[in-house]
Amino acid sequence: MGNTLAIAHKEIKSYFASPVAYVVIGFSAILFGWFFINLLYYFDRASMQAGGGFGGPQTVNVNEMLISPLFMNVSVILLFTLPLITMRTYAEEKRSGTIELLLTSPLTDVQIVIGKFLGCLVLYGAMLAITLVHMGFLFAFGNPEWRPIAAGYLGLILMGGCFLSLGLFISSLTRNQIVAGMVTFAVFLLFWVINWIASFTGPTMQTVLNYLSITEHLNDFARGVIDTSHLVYYVSFIAFSLFLTVRSVDSERWRG
Amino acid sequence: MIEVQHLTRRYGPTTAVDDVSFRVESGEVLGFLGPNGAGKTTTMRVLTGYMPASDGKAIVAGYDVSEHPLEAKRRTGYLPETPPLYPEMTVRDYLTFVARIKGVPRSERKTRVNAAMDRTRVMDMADRHCAKLSKGYKQRVGLAQALMHNPEVLILDEPTAGLDPKQIIETRKLITELGGDHTIILSTHILPEVSQTCQRIVIINKGRVVAVDTPENLMSRLGGSETLYIQIDASGSDATATLEAIPGITKVAPADVRGSLAGFEVSSEMGHDVRRELAAAVVGRGWGLLELRPLRMSLEEIFLHLTTEDTAAADTPEQTSMGAPPEPATLPEEATHG
Repeated sequence: MGNTLAIAHKEIKSYFASPVAYVVIGFSAILFGWFFINLLYYFDRASMQAGGGFGGPQTVNVNEMLISPLFMNVSVILLFTLPLITMRTYAEEKRSGTIELLLTSPLTDVQIVIGKFLGCLVLYGAMLAITLVHMGFLFAFGNPEWRPIAAGYLGLILMGGCFLSLGLFISSLTRNQIVAGMVTFAVFLLFWVINWIASFTGPTMQTVLNYLSITEHLNDFARGVIDTSHLVYYVSFIAFSLFLTVRSVDSERWRG
Repeated sequence: MIEVQHLTRRYGPTTAVDDVSFRVESGEVLGFLGPNGAGKTTTMRVLTGYMPASDGKAIVAGYDVSEHPLEAKRRTGYLPETPPLYPEMTVRDYLTFVARIKGVPRSERKTRVNAAMDRTRVMDMADRHCAKLSKGYKQRVGLAQALMHNPEVLILDEPTAGLDPKQIIETRKLITELGGDHTIILSTHILPEVSQTCQRIVIINKGRVVAVDTPENLMSRLGGSETLYIQIDASGSDATATLEAIPGITKVAPADVRGSLAGFEVSSEMGHDVRRELAAAVVGRGWGLLELRPLRMSLEEIFLHLTTEDTAAADTPEQTSMGAPPEPATLPEEATHG
């Protein structure tokens, strides 16, 4: 445990000592703010028209019309930014030779992998924490329900965890950061759009593809529903990716 | 104590290390010599648990590195070829992180980090980022990293690479100091370094051990005979016959002639010191004796001899691939205990 935390601590320190953390957090905040303002204007207009009987909605709900779509939009930001967080994790250590320090220290591979994953997760958490400011505005000027919001954040953390663990695995396969970043981005995107083809396939295939899509599982969380099947999906996705990473680090020793 | 038994490491079809066996006693400093690509780094990586062996065994500080990797790693300090530094961390932060993952208890971390920085003289760079260090400082921070948890065994891959002459001398001194309470393997290209710091040498070529011995033994074994260089002013007369007539001398070869000065390489039987007779004969003839010095086969020559000639490798397989040193009696005192 201490060793895992030591690795996590080192990862976080590295992120914040380099521009990586500030660039990732800063620019994500700008994008998030942009999405927020757009949805806010949309919500504002909808609430003006509400109940007017001129084709507008009968009632408006800030959770349903603003927060839920906002969470879905955040997943777009994650698609682009999370590869930037994970691409260096292993690739950089291999290129600079610091991996030799880690692998010759009294640490297990699992401790190293989990430590790195936690480090990424904390940086991602810091990125999400910025969005609490926007939520603060909603609470200050409206009265949204906090429970669906909490569920939405849980969903985002779990989905981010999937992306991060997968990115970690891809980074462990190469010593080139750019390759790691590009492949991670491509795989993320693929997992995102994998169910686009679902409506053209048979019912079985459709279910499978929908189940595989990382973002499909976020829908319910964004709406405030915590469904155990989604929890199982995310947690097993993360566990499997981390397992693959451990195996990949181990096989690296054999390949040399 | 380090014991390597029939160690083999293959990368796909290529064999980087082929049936290597040797033993390093506690407190001994062993030099690991070989041309580039001979398998030095690979052997060290197996010993440190960085990669597994394809075959054979490596025992470090009493633990088999493949069966008890964590126990072995706890007792090993390793300086890889490129010092494993995190560029964005300061020296102190970096060493504190190393102390943490090497299992130094929290209460001792600060003192151990300071001690390691003191020992390797990097204290003045403590708050500098690793990326901004010169090559020499990087190397020394790497060494501080290896010493951090005061390991029984130190494995140093070219510890003096990139250092300036003054730093090289300081580092060699440090290694000599560390020998005695640490078991050390160091690899190097610089041959005088091994004769100065190491009690024994393993010469490796193309993945195979070609020689294991003390520097002195290697020199005398491969020298075969003792050779002297003598320069005399024989004022035109031929000195060869006079010199050959001295008992014990086996060969006299003219080396250089400069005006009336003539230099000769005089070989004698092993263990037969002919310097007094030589000097007496020269002076007795009324010639001038300008220079008389022993010529030995240098380590460079031995090294080239062993690593370039396949015949040389075939000559000495009996003595070389043994685990134990061939002549323990020749080991310096401190090598046998400590």
